[in-house]
Formats: sequence, C-alpha cells, structure tokens
Amino acid sequence: MTPTWLRWMPAVAVPAVIAAGVLAGSVPASARDPLPDKTPAQVLAMIAPHTTKALSGTVEQTSELGLPDVPQIGPTSGPAAGSIAELLTGPHTARVYVDGPAKVRVQIMDRMGERDAVRQGSEVWLYNSKDNTATHLTLPGNASGKEDRGSRMPGSVATPEQLAARMLEKVDASTDVAVREDVEVAGRAAYNLVVTPRSQATLVESVAVAVDGESGLPLSVEVRARGQQEPAFRTAFSSLKLEAPDASVFNFTPPPGATVKELALPSSGYAKRDLGKYGKGAAGSWKDEQGKLEKDRRPPAAAGRAPSVTGFGWETVVGFPARANSPAAGAPSVDMLLNDPLLRQATVAVPGGRAISTSLLNVLLTDDGRMFVGSVPLERLQAAAAR
Amino acid sequence: MSHSDQVSAPGAGTRTNPGREGSSPRQRPSSRSLLASELKQLFRRRRTQALLLALAAIPVMIAVVVRLSTAVPPGRGPAFLDRITQNGLFVGVTALIVAVPLFLPLTIGVVAGDTIAGEAGHGTLRYLLVAPAGRVRLLLVKYVGAVAFCVSAPLAVALAGAGIGAALFPVGPVTLLSGDVVEPGEALNRMLLIAAYQTVSLLGLSAIGLFLSTLTDVPVGAMAATIVLSVASQVMDQLPQLEWLHPWLFSHYWFGFADLLRQPIGWDSFTSNAMLQAGYIAVFGALAYGRFVSKDVLS
Repeated sequence: MTPTWLRWMPAVAVPAVIAAGVLAGSVPASARDPLPDKTPAQVLAMIAPHTTKALSGTVEQTSELGLPDVPQIGPTSGPAAGSIAELLTGPHTARVYVDGPAKVRVQIMDRMGERDAVRQGSEVWLYNSKDNTATHLTLPGNASGKEDRGSRMPGSVATPEQLAARMLEKVDASTDVAVREDVEVAGRAAYNLVVTPRSQATLVESVAVAVDGESGLPLSVEVRARGQQEPAFRTAFSSLKLEAPDASVFNFTPPPGATVKELALPSSGYAKRDLGKYGKGAAGSWKDEQGKLEKDRRPPAAAGRAPSVTGFGWETVVGFPARANSPAAGAPSVDMLLNDPLLRQATVAVPGGRAISTSLLNVLLTDDGRMFVGSVPLERLQAAAAR
Repeated sequence: MSHSDQVSAPGAGTRTNPGREGSSPRQRPSSRSLLASELKQLFRRRRTQALLLALAAIPVMIAVVVRLSTAVPPGRGPAFLDRITQNGLFVGVTALIVAVPLFLPLTIGVVAGDTIAGEAGHGTLRYLLVAPAGRVRLLLVKYVGAVAFCVSAPLAVALAGAGIGAALFPVGPVTLLSGDVVEPGEALNRMLLIAAYQTVSLLGLSAIGLFLSTLTDVPVGAMAATIVLSVASQVMDQLPQLEWLHPWLFSHYWFGFADLLRQPIGWDSFTSNAMLQAGYIAVFGALAYGRFVSKDVLS
C-alpha cells in the first residue's frame, strides 16, 4: 500500500506547479534587446509623422477617477446605456481595426452587448446592440484629409494613438518631458515617454505614453493623479497586429429590424441640436458620448459669449457662460449634464454651486448656471467663478 | 501525471492494465464497459432525465411567454429577449443566458455531487470497488459521467430553444452583437459553440463537485455544497473589493460567451476560460484523488 502522504502529493504538487507557472508568466521577459537610446524629441518625432496604418488590436481601458462604479450584475445587457459617465467608470475593452485612414472599425465590447463604429470612406455607421439602433452619417467630402475624424468618432474608448496626440499638444514650457526605461506593451518593446507637469497646482501628476520602438505607434497612455496609487486613467493595447484586417470587417449594413437614424452633419460640423433632441432618446448613448467628446476636444466658440479662460498650462480653468446667455445651446449645458443620472449622483453641494470631483478633473456648476472646468483643485475653480 | 497504475482496489490483489479489454472474467471489467454502464445508469435515471427536461423547459417557457405577450421594449430583460419575435433562433441564446447563473450550476451540482457520495449513500460503493474496478478508474469514470452531463445540459437548452423558436417564430438571418448578420446555419453553429463554451465553463464546477462528493456519504450534502460554492463564486465576482481574486474564480468567464456572438469571433475569453477550468480540474482532481484513495470505504 502506498503511504497516505504520497496519495496527497498530487493535491499539493498541482497547485504548486500552477502557482509557479503563474509567477513565471508574470515576470516580464527581460531578455529582449534594449531599444536604442532616444531623446524625448526623437521619440516625439517618431509619433509625429505617424499616420494611421493598418492594424488590428484590442484596447483595454481602466479608470479610477473616483466616480461611482456602474454595477454590472446578472444576465441583463449591462448598465443603462444612457450615461456618459459609464465609459469613464470601470474597465472597458474594445477591438480596433484600422486599414488606412478611411477604413476604421471600433467595437466596444460590453457585457452581453457591443457598441460599434464603422467607417468606410465617408460613410460612418454607429451601432448599439443593446437597443438595436443604427445611426448613419456621411462625412463631408474633405474628411479624408489630415484630420481623421472617422477614427475619432467612435473614440469613446479612445485608442492610445488619439489620446497621445491630444496629450502631447500640451507639451510646452510648463512641462517636463523625459524618456524613461523601456516598457513592454502588448508584447512589443516601447519607449516610455513621461510628461510631468512642473506646476504643483494641477491634479495631474504625470502622463506616460508608451511609443512602439519599431513603428512609432503609441501603445498605451497612462494618466496618474496626485495622491493616488492606481493610475487614474489607462488605455493600452493588450494585443496588436500591425497588418491589414480582413476587408469584410469594414462592411456594415444595418441589420433587419434595427432602428435606423440618419444624423445630418451641418456645415459647421456639429449636430448640436440633434444632440439635444436625441439626448434622452433610445439612441442617446452615442450622442451623449459624442457630445462629451466634442466638449473635451474644442470648447464651442459658437453663438453668444465665448468661454472664458483663466490660468495657463496645466492650471487652465475654462468657464462656460450660463445657458440663458447662449441660446444656441452650443455648449454642453449644465442642464444636460444634470440630466445624466450618474453625473447628478456624483455632484456634491459646495459653496457657490455643485461640483463634480474626479481625481483628474474638477467641474463646478455655479448656482447661476455657469460651468467651470479644470484639472485643478476645487478652490481654484471657485476663485475663477468669483472673479 | 498518471494515476492509473498506482492504486488497486482493496481485495483485487492483482494489477492489470486499465483501458485494455479484459479477456478473462477474472480480470477487471474494461474501462469502456465500466464507462458505458456508468453513462447508461446516469442517463437512465429519472432524476437526470427530469433535470434535462427542466432545462429544456426554460426556452419553451420563454418562447411561449414572448409569443403570448406584446412586444418587448428593447434593452429590457435578458439580452436578446426583444429579438426573439424577429428571429426564433434567439430563443436558444436567451435561454442559455438565463440558465448560466443558476439553473446550469444547479443541475451540475446535483450530478457531480452525487457521483461518489451517491454510491456511498446507497451502500453500493463497496461493491463497485470489490468488482474490482480500482478507485482511480472509478473516480475517472464518475468524472467522465459528470462531463457527459455537462455536455448534454447546455445542449438540451440550446436545441430545445432552437426547436421551439423555429416552431413559434420566423427563422431568418441572425443579427450578431456587432450588428453583422449571419445566415441561420451559421447562427446555429454559433449557438452550438456557446453550448460548448458552457460545457467548458462547467467542467471546473464538476471537478469541485466530484471532490466534495468524496468527502461525504450524504449525497445531498455534496450537492448543496457544490451549488452554494457556485453561487458564492458569482457573488465574490461582483465585489469590487475582491478584484484581485476575480480572474481566479471559476465562474469569472461564465458570461464571456458573448464574445462568440461578435464578428469576428473573439476567442480570448474561450481560451482564458478553458485554461482556468483546466486548472480547477487539475487541482480538485488531485484533491479528489488524494481523498478517495486514502478513504476508508465502509458503505
């Protein structure tokens, strides 16, 4: 008879082997040849001429912004899609397919659902599987020019590429830029470009961009906030193939039974009225996200008073005038923001109005309807409002 | 690691090569005949048939309710519920989604928890070992029996769903999550893939059930413990405080089969799930081995 302890050996050995395997797998492979040294400017230059090539990959995004989490429980098709805050909380995974600037497809893989954005030429389709709605828009003729709107349109889970370009615009005298030790993202060696604000008054501690050593494609973007261990925001390729995806990926026709909406793009390039109109409707999620993104991208210089800007560099505070003064409703109005259930929940009463505090961005909604936004402590927003 | 030649049943005395046809009646019954009799016994049981029938009743119930009620607003209820009226094949998918959190683990818990403890409870375990079958072989055969049930349970849901859906609703091209449309044949393929995904998902739970079943002579205890563990694992998967633990919970990828409904198919979750379940099979298989071969079989 085999002794008893021998019979329990497998039960001890198997977990040990698995643990050893997991540990071995988690140690980064250091055998890789180090990349040739480059200065920050050289790394930046690698990105600058980088145009959208063919690629297919998976992007994973995590945020720790201090916003309440959206619970995702049970077999339903996930959280209420109507919230713009949903994309800023919790993890998201998206598959990205790019074949030149005119062929782009982004699939945000939700639990039991998916949001798609497909661009082929000037045709753009947005599809949401939760409510089975498809939205079609035709880009203006010059859209295939330098600014690649098609790839931005779906940018709800922004690709590292888009984010990097946006972030690096901020590089100026107020900022320290350095190339740190190489990192490995999606199995590729990458330069680690770290941007650190010189100012102490901003909430941003550092922004790290991993730049692929071969192609110059930004592979990951990580934003750290002051006084927070976890990165406040991180988006990175988890897998990446630099080859053209199957052409059929870019073919999209709305499925039978889907609600199809036509979204007209006015010559000004903004469908603001449509934003408001559809904001609460079934198809609201996409529009809300776009509205949010457009707000991020360019403050509307439309009708009425332009937004006020105080401070510079990382300490910039942007103030939006009250809605009543800009009837064109160009600005993302306070009302619209407060209609978002998650955001309303996230606001807290502060002297002079209500505030949304995240680890990277503070928003102050004053009692008289103005809105102040900046990556600065709340006191600075209040000071700007009082000015 | 091969267990097969390490232990022989008490009273058997001689070691033989398992897996080979026994030529003389004095040798052990062949593994194949042992397996065949185990499967026959499993699927002839009223209880097993009732479990499969209950599972098949889920899509039937869903289909009948949807058929009799007014249109479901999109985005409410389980995923795809609103699509059923347009396409009957979605009945199977919706039913599979509904069955994942509780019904499937429940039935697997009953079958896997019964494997060894059931024989012990009936007082037949002793005779099985005297037969002589060998403990390791008996354990393997019992696990294969549980696996066979893991295969048949999701299949029962999927096929009953496809059948009742085709009977009550029109069948046509199916819209995937990505908005792409596939033909009914391809859709059926995807549904079978989802059933296969579910089978893989349940293998780890079966191994846990097998181990728990070796611990006790009371089958109900092992069944209940298995089911409770499956629920506990899903609850823990929802707690953000245990985020580090999530990838290690056997229920973590249970809903990952949505990736099979995308275009192109995402295989990542299938692979991760298979690896995780293989780990659970290895760990709890080894535990069950350790427990069962050193157990005093008295009943």
